[in-house]
Amino acid sequence: MRGVGKQLFLFVAGMVLLGSLAAVILVNTKAYAAPGETIGSNGSQTHLAADLAGSGPIVSNEVCLGCHGKPGLSINLPNGDILDLYVNPENYAASVHGKDGYACVQCHTDLGNYPHPTFTATDLRDVTLQLTNTCDRCHSGVYNLTMDSVHAAAQAAGKREAAVCTDCHGSHSVHPWTDSKSGAILPEARLDIPITCSRCHFAIYQKYRSSVHGAALTDEGNTDVPTCIDCHGVHNIGNPTTAAFRLKSPQLCAGCHTNHEIMDKYGVPTNVLNTYVSDFHGTTVTLFEKQSPDAQTNKPVCYDCHGVHDISRVDNPETGIQMQQNLLVRCKVCHPDATSNFPSAWMSHYIPSPQHYSLVYYVNLFYKFFIPAVLGSMVTLVGLDVGHTFYVKTRRGKHPRAEGTPPATDAQPPSQPSAPETNDERIDGQQGPQNTPEGSHD
Amino acid sequence: MKSQPQPTPAQRVKLVRTFPRFNLSQRWEHAVLLLCVAVLLTTGLPQKYHTTTWSQAIITSPERLNTIQQIHHITALVLTALVLYHLGKAIYLISRRKLPGDMLPTLQDIKDAWAMLLYLIYIRKQKPAFGKYNFEQKVTYWFLFFSLGIMLVSGYVMWFPKVVTRLIPGGVIPGAIMAHSTEAIVTLIFIVLFHFYHVHIERLNLSIFSGWLNEEDMRTYHSLEYRQLVREPHSEQDSGVPKA
Repeated sequence: MRGVGKQLFLFVAGMVLLGSLAAVILVNTKAYAAPGETIGSNGSQTHLAADLAGSGPIVSNEVCLGCHGKPGLSINLPNGDILDLYVNPENYAASVHGKDGYACVQCHTDLGNYPHPTFTATDLRDVTLQLTNTCDRCHSGVYNLTMDSVHAAAQAAGKREAAVCTDCHGSHSVHPWTDSKSGAILPEARLDIPITCSRCHFAIYQKYRSSVHGAALTDEGNTDVPTCIDCHGVHNIGNPTTAAFRLKSPQLCAGCHTNHEIMDKYGVPTNVLNTYVSDFHGTTVTLFEKQSPDAQTNKPVCYDCHGVHDISRVDNPETGIQMQQNLLVRCKVCHPDATSNFPSAWMSHYIPSPQHYSLVYYVNLFYKFFIPAVLGSMVTLVGLDVGHTFYVKTRRGKHPRAEGTPPATDAQPPSQPSAPETNDERIDGQQGPQNTPEGSHD
Repeated sequence: MKSQPQPTPAQRVKLVRTFPRFNLSQRWEHAVLLLCVAVLLTTGLPQKYHTTTWSQAIITSPERLNTIQQIHHITALVLTALVLYHLGKAIYLISRRKLPGDMLPTLQDIKDAWAMLLYLIYIRKQKPAFGKYNFEQKVTYWFLFFSLGIMLVSGYVMWFPKVVTRLIPGGVIPGAIMAHSTEAIVTLIFIVLFHFYHVHIERLNLSIFSGWLNEEDMRTYHSLEYRQLVREPHSEQDSGVPKA
């Protein structure tokens, strides 16, 4: 008995010991991973922890900045580009990585030893392209998203200038664009976004800048308006010239333009999508979007009339398409022989009313009464007829011999070959009140 | 068969006297009309109810939609030709003063309708006597006559908006779309409810295909015409003209 008790005690004590050891390890690992969480991305924390634990020597940033913190350090790349190796310590300290105390060698993983390994980049762009892979180590979620983007596709096709992480986010001075807790884009970041994109897409930026959205963002600091990423996406930016993008685009615009919270502030109507969908162009586009999202369609979507990047107010006297002559220009893109009456064939997002498109309104009103009237009167007539026929048949069964009617007529009514004279009499009789087969009931 | 002596063949023979009701042209017109309306409804309704699943089972791709629209348009052309033929024939007959006027609505039809209503609500004890076309058949003809008119006019307005807007304001286009789409439903309701009831359920009346009615049906449903015919049995040209 005593032996068994001792064994049990040892077993329980061992379990407690092992359990507490596991708990300590877990807590420590969690603490280690904590900085990764504040990035607010879907980068994997275990990756980070493993990386920190398993990678080469961790050198403190002071060691790196001992050389790279002084201006003037640079190397010549094989093609003659000069790579500046100076890192401004204040800038880095103020960046999102610097604030959280990340070490230089967490990105520059191969530079922990001195002398550094030989530089393999052939030119400045090559440096960027090689180093941008390092983002994947912590931010693999968004990094993978960028792999689906039109930029990555361009890279794969050999366009080296296509944007990679650091082209938009910067390298040593990365600033947070999202709220670390909610993941929402910060208002000040929204102001930055078009400028970031404009570094490559300047002509489009200029159009956007003068559009109703871009002007509100830039001039008024209004962050309700869409920036580039609201339509094009963030990391997995798709190709906006595909048929699929075109067919989906009305839903894109509708994302904001059917939202009362945003639109009511500016008195912009929110019925733009349903009026579009219920009219001929929108009907076809919506149908295609559902049935074959990759189908090419020549039916206009929002931006064919309102503009792609240079979207203007509809009541702008020069460009606004509320002006029929401005709209006609848009119509003529697809309907070259359209005349000045033609644009009003499109109901301009109006819901028909006595004021707007009264003909449609009154046609609709007419049928609102006409259909029930037709349906009602037909159902009534047919119903009465069915009821009456049934009534006559059942009554006839009860009184097979109607007064004043020859029995033969009732007994075998159909197809009795008879002489015209007798028929004549019978028909004359039918006019009389009592002398008919139907007259058998009283 | 012939080895059986009873009943004698003479007894088994059933004599059915038939009365001409529709001529060949009218029967063909009805057949073409039936086909056109059926095709137009089957190709038109999926376009109207494009958000429903049954419609999307038919319109599965842009190419399919294109085909459906082409069938719709071609059928519309056939129907237009039919309507023009029908009107042309009527105008020709009028010019020759040969149009049998029995499809024209008269005051008697309103009286008949009233009498029929009283009969149906058990106030009168018998149906009114009818001529060649009773008021229900006239209602059917004229209802569809105007339905087709609306469908054709609005259809062509939708089909050629650029030509139409050269002459009249653009607002008629959405008006025509609304009318076309809604009138189609009215027509469908009317055909299914009213026409199908009278020619299939009330009694199976195939005279529009065969061209004739038997004596019993003539006596029961067209007693006035029947009386006329049996009194003057062989005057064909007066067959349709009501004299009552």
